[in-house]
Amino acid sequence: MYSIVSTAIVRGIRSVLVQVEADVCDGLPVFEMVGILSAEVKESRERVKAAIRNSGIRLSPKKVTVNFYPADVRKTGTGFDLPVALAVLAAHGRIPGEILEGILFAGEIGLNGELRPTAGILPMVLAAREAGKHTVCVPRGNVREAEIAKGITILPGDSLNQVLAMVEEFHRNPEKFSGVRSMEEISEPPGETLWDFSALHGQKVLKRACEIAAAGRHNMLMTGPPGAGKTMAARAVSAILPSLLEEEGLELAKIYSVSGLFGQREGRFWTRHFRSPHHTVSIAGLAGGGTVPKPGELSLAHKGVLFLDELTEFRREVLEVLRQPLEEGVIRLVRQSGAYEFPADVMLIGAMNPCNCGYYPDRNKCRCSSAVLERHFGKLSRPFLDRMDLTVEVKRPELSEITGGQTEESSESVRMRVQEVQEIQRRRFGDSGILYNSRIPVSHMKEFCPLDTGGEKLLQESFDRMDLSVRGYYRTLRVARTIADMDHADTIGRLHIMESLLYRSMGWKVWERE
Amino acid sequence: MKTEAYHNRYEYWLAGLLCLPGKKKIRLREMAGGAEGLYRMKQASLRKLPGLTERERAKLEQGQSAPEEELEKMRTYCIRQDIRLILHQDSEYPARLEQIYNPPYGLYCRGTLPPESALAVAVVGARACSAYGRQVAEQVGYHLAGHGVSVVSGMAAGIDGAGQRGALQAGGKSYGVLGCGVDICYPAGNRQLYEALPAQGGLISEYPPGTRPLACFFPQRNRIISGLSDVVLVVEAREKSGALITGDFALEQGKEVYAVPGRVGDALSQGTNRLIGQGAGIFLSWEDFQKELGLFPNFLESSVKIKKLSLEKSERLVYSCLDLSPKNLDELMAETGYSLTELMENLESLREKGCILEVYRNCYIRRAECK
Repeated sequence: MYSIVSTAIVRGIRSVLVQVEADVCDGLPVFEMVGILSAEVKESRERVKAAIRNSGIRLSPKKVTVNFYPADVRKTGTGFDLPVALAVLAAHGRIPGEILEGILFAGEIGLNGELRPTAGILPMVLAAREAGKHTVCVPRGNVREAEIAKGITILPGDSLNQVLAMVEEFHRNPEKFSGVRSMEEISEPPGETLWDFSALHGQKVLKRACEIAAAGRHNMLMTGPPGAGKTMAARAVSAILPSLLEEEGLELAKIYSVSGLFGQREGRFWTRHFRSPHHTVSIAGLAGGGTVPKPGELSLAHKGVLFLDELTEFRREVLEVLRQPLEEGVIRLVRQSGAYEFPADVMLIGAMNPCNCGYYPDRNKCRCSSAVLERHFGKLSRPFLDRMDLTVEVKRPELSEITGGQTEESSESVRMRVQEVQEIQRRRFGDSGILYNSRIPVSHMKEFCPLDTGGEKLLQESFDRMDLSVRGYYRTLRVARTIADMDHADTIGRLHIMESLLYRSMGWKVWERE
Repeated sequence: MKTEAYHNRYEYWLAGLLCLPGKKKIRLREMAGGAEGLYRMKQASLRKLPGLTERERAKLEQGQSAPEEELEKMRTYCIRQDIRLILHQDSEYPARLEQIYNPPYGLYCRGTLPPESALAVAVVGARACSAYGRQVAEQVGYHLAGHGVSVVSGMAAGIDGAGQRGALQAGGKSYGVLGCGVDICYPAGNRQLYEALPAQGGLISEYPPGTRPLACFFPQRNRIISGLSDVVLVVEAREKSGALITGDFALEQGKEVYAVPGRVGDALSQGTNRLIGQGAGIFLSWEDFQKELGLFPNFLESSVKIKKLSLEKSERLVYSCLDLSPKNLDELMAETGYSLTELMENLESLREKGCILEVYRNCYIRRAECK
């Protein structure tokens, strides 16, 4: 007998539907699976055989052939156990084939027949909805993530036996299962973090830069002596970021689903992520990789903050990997198995010491020679520095500033302001697909960043004086746009440009002129 | 002046021997009746020479084993590279060096040597110096050279290079005494200076071309810096600093030593303050220094000063908060009470007027009065 079941595989953060066919006929009792299968899919056979037996179902010894199509796509992932088991049972005539129609099945099965959570469920559910399926059946552990995709019925599976019963019940009485919860029900608003903006004492310039960076999602680089509060400032930035927009949240949920890290986002769909990989991170760890690429830290920080502490300690080639994604907001990995695109629209915050000992330019403490300084700064390439929109020097605050009872502004009130500025941006960009000032394309510069005469003059003078690159020029303009937005100004004025230039990093050589 | 045509390959050989002090070389050369005689001297007679230690004799014998072609190669290399060799017995040899305790036997020189007729001042100091120190050195160098004084220094990073750079900016003469062969640019960061010096002064070394910069050469090189100059000015020096060695040599050689005073807690002023405590002259301002050196002010300076004073009230407030150690925006905001935008505007106009210097990103110092 023949049967067919729908399932899906994950490629990048998208999913492709795959059909599992089973044929049972007389012959030697062998179980064969074909259709370019990776190791974990081949192992599925052993799990399925044991799970069926341990669920109390005895199958007569017959020849079983399972085929996956399209046959030219490599099948990976552990979600095939459930569809294979159902296809085999249907081919044996244990369940009627028509009750499986229109449903997408995915999930890993244990030897006892229990369904276990699987990576990549969300993209599969979305693909199923697009392909016109009315229902999906996934392990109960994945239900919350599947619920993010609206407009499709979800059947939560606990074990093989329960799935069989449920599917039959669903076939008879589909209305019973149609309850769908809204996004508000499955997620809370972002809670308070441990890190509050009010923890930054004094340091007005730093705080101002943090606010600008958060408002326009610009990249930021902090230099300063050890223990001056760089890491704290980076955390504080993540505390003043407004919640994710719905489309941003969905995209991010897909990335976490594919990485099998969905648990980290459970109940916090609106929170922007703060990722801070250690400086020993590899290229694949940061950018994503593997024979079938999985998202790296860069994508896990999508729409959030990627914080690189001790920037000069990162391997140079690792940092250079960031260059293209920082411009485009996506990373494209090309492997033998095809090209994969992961969203990687991050706000990069870097922190580093200004020299080996950490005290330059305080020459009383710092004895680094100019050659040492040059080597230290040389660890960051000019193109990389060019992409840092705001560079700030953090100086150690005085003890009196920390202990003196001045109350600093809380995250809450700064976040309100940031939110307001972001709404101004969205109103301006309308439906052009741009969300933040840092993403204004060069082609729209004239339209979105009008300059008054004073501003234009200053920018042109500075272009030569500060030896800006063309990229540096446009990035200066984007930051100035955010500063103007914070001022509720339509055109960018001289002061906005001046402040923006204040934060622009030039080649370090300017400072130690020998 | 064509000294290179004058010396034969053996002279180059003798000058290039690193193991023998200058005085011994002079005596040996006399006893052997010329450098060639010393090169060809038999081992037996070598042993009879008085005043040579065992080690020095061994080195000399080792030196004798060099084939003649190699000697010639060095000579042609020097000529081709425009490096002149000035020996102790030459008329061009600086009279100032003849008087020091351990004069070098020969000097390799690209460019010229400091003229005997003009005053020569050494501007020396720390390599890892502050922006303030660099500024002082640069300006002293500038003024000295403007008065026709030769500025002698070690072309090192920091103060040394800054003083010489100032001298070149004024279009004057500066002389760099190196601790390596004059065909090697060390430190590499001073490439521009290295290339400019031969035309506007000279590069000088007692070490033959091709000698690598080894740490042990530098203290010895300092005796030539002080030896070639009449006055030594130490701008910034830590407790233990190579610049202090130059100061010691200068005192030994009977030269005048001046030091730029500094604040009590500053690591970079501890050495100079100590020098002053020990009786060195104090550098209070360029005008004072100039009087002490017996130089007369020139017209150029007085005209620059008048232009300075046209600052607006707010600019003056910001300017008065700045001093010679770097201050960042936060500190300036706290001191002036201005907002970031107000401060920015004032800093921008002060920068345009050339009154302040941004020594590091958003860290400013006041530009020293002169220049």
